[in-house]
Amino acid sequence: MRNTPIFIVEDLWKSYAQTDAVQGLSFEILKGEFFGLLGPNGAGKTTTIGILTGLIEPTRGHISIDGFDLFSSPMEAKAKLGLVPQSFALYPTLCARDNLVFFGRIYGLKGKRLRERIARVLEIVELTDRANQTVATFSNGMKRRLNMAAGLLHEPEILILDEPTVGVDTQSRNAILERLDSLNKSGVTVLYTTHYIEEAQRLCGRVAIMDQGKIIALDSPARLIQDLGKGIIRIEFNAGIDDRLLDQLKRIGLVRVVDDQKRRIHVKTDRTDQASRELLELMKTQEGLLKTLDISEPNLETVFIHLTGKNLRD
Amino acid sequence: MIHQIIAITLKELKVLWLDREALALLFAMPMFFILVMSFALEGVFQAGSKGHPIEILVVHQKGGRLADQAIADLKRMEGLVLIETHEGVPLTSDKAEQLIGRGVYPLALLFPEGYTERVLEISNDPQKGRATVYLVSDPATNLQLLTTVKGAVQGAIERPVLLARIPQRLKEMFGTLEGMEGQLDNVLGNTNISERERSAVDLIHTFPKRFNAGRRPTATEQNVPAYTIFGVFFIVLTLASSFLQEKKDGTFQRILAAPLSKTALLIGKLLPYYFVNLIQIALMFCIGVVVFGMKLGHLPALVIVSLALAAAANGLGLLVAALGKTEAQVNGLSVLLAITLSALGGMMVPTFIMPDLMKTLSLFTPHAWALAGYHDVIIRGLGTKEVLTEVAILLGFASFFFVIALWRFRFNE
Repeated sequence: MRNTPIFIVEDLWKSYAQTDAVQGLSFEILKGEFFGLLGPNGAGKTTTIGILTGLIEPTRGHISIDGFDLFSSPMEAKAKLGLVPQSFALYPTLCARDNLVFFGRIYGLKGKRLRERIARVLEIVELTDRANQTVATFSNGMKRRLNMAAGLLHEPEILILDEPTVGVDTQSRNAILERLDSLNKSGVTVLYTTHYIEEAQRLCGRVAIMDQGKIIALDSPARLIQDLGKGIIRIEFNAGIDDRLLDQLKRIGLVRVVDDQKRRIHVKTDRTDQASRELLELMKTQEGLLKTLDISEPNLETVFIHLTGKNLRD
Repeated sequence: MIHQIIAITLKELKVLWLDREALALLFAMPMFFILVMSFALEGVFQAGSKGHPIEILVVHQKGGRLADQAIADLKRMEGLVLIETHEGVPLTSDKAEQLIGRGVYPLALLFPEGYTERVLEISNDPQKGRATVYLVSDPATNLQLLTTVKGAVQGAIERPVLLARIPQRLKEMFGTLEGMEGQLDNVLGNTNISERERSAVDLIHTFPKRFNAGRRPTATEQNVPAYTIFGVFFIVLTLASSFLQEKKDGTFQRILAAPLSKTALLIGKLLPYYFVNLIQIALMFCIGVVVFGMKLGHLPALVIVSLALAAAANGLGLLVAALGKTEAQVNGLSVLLAITLSALGGMMVPTFIMPDLMKTLSLFTPHAWALAGYHDVIIRGLGTKEVLTEVAILLGFASFFFVIALWRFRFNE
């Protein structure tokens, strides 16, 4: 039944000697939802995926997958999951079919059922005619598609994809995104991490934005963009600004200081044209201080930049 | 779980089979060593030199003056060290045999009680037979070494006997003949007399009582087990590289996202390498039998030593997989361990000619215990019961390696 939580994460922490990689993550993914997890490198996404798939043990927290606790009933919980890792995670010296036979057996498939599922996933990713070809000879796009096929073999209720389109050409990327959209429409719940903001905007019903181990925003892309108003004005100064100038900037729009030195400022406003004129006027009194001024359109990328102060691909 | 273990095992065997060059190397490398070393390097051991003296246990407390003189002569010889006490107590025949049986020393020289009286008695009356000195050796002692020692010992026991007989011979000659000059030549230099005196003492070569060793070890019997063990431990490189590759490729991550325990993954992953080790051992011994006519001894004993050896090699492989973070680390560590432990464990040079420190260190290698086990079976003719110590120690090594490896191993690095 849609709109019931199938994946519940509560107060998830992962601490290493020097750092807390994941700091109190809590979110729910609804059955049939296409859920995006966005964050720059080092945000804690990979650690989070590692914990959600049972590879990494969290310091504390609870994960429930379709009613099964991942840590007290790992076999039942994991049976619901399909993983498409960021790396190809295939055996290059084996052919595509042998790879799928192996991963299918790991999930307990055998005999006729295994053969049928292999035929079906090869069909989904359009690799039927390459089934007996060694994976080492595949293009990156083909490897990505086979990687996805391996994650789909046992018909998981939840498919976790970690950057599944990295390093592939536009055509293969579109093919993968279309398959994912189609799978989601057929009822598969998807947890998707990506660097590509346009993919998240195109596919995800909701996105969680992660930075420094925390979720700093969680909503539908439309609502996050809407919250941004007409966009943001990004200003970089040649030196850190004083509190008096900061107060003057605050009269123009909602100000967010991005760095500790007060050299980078974001101004959120519903009237970007007028606000930018006012800003330029103000800067005339501060000769040589302004380095750059950039008006960013309201989209998910801008939301991300405004929230984290970083580009997604940083 | 069984189904999944089988799946991992089958996959791993298939991956191994597809990388035939690497697989072939595992078999070719020890085979090459066995053939080359056995044919070309026969008898090159340098035992008996000043730097590598041969240690010989000596039992002579009631042997008398002639035994003491023979021992004094042997002590003066370069390359021999004579040991007359163990832990401060003079050696007895039983103790000496026991120490040889345990492989602590390679040789013992036993002068029976009343040896001097017996020699003198025979000197006076050659009709009364011959005296006997026993040279007891570990059946695993190198043949060239044994021949050298026997020659030295023979000379050392004959000299005092000859000297002891001179007064008696002079008395015989001068008491019955005129013209002593010519007769003195006969007494001191005549070959016929010398041959006659030599027959007064027999040096009998024997083995400790518990060994069924009616024959001498050959170079093949020395080299096949040694280089088989050497080759078996090269599985460490293949195994550790495979684990590293799975981590790198992310296949471990995918497998562990499935409903499968880490234990099942490790068992499924290790089993093929264990099988490869066993096939490797079987093939190497087959070469020993078919090409060199080697006798294998008690087969069940050989099998349990081999099973324990393969377990230790696989344990070390997993340990290297746990410690090596990069390909270069795994390669370096594997080769370093394979060569160093083999050399230290007596695969290239017998441990009995090593300095004491090296001998002690060799006991900390699974190689030395595996070789001792194989020598017990193949050369010393012992059975299952007698190799249980070596098997237990090899399994102890395997357990130690596995425990440390599992403690240090990270699937997600």
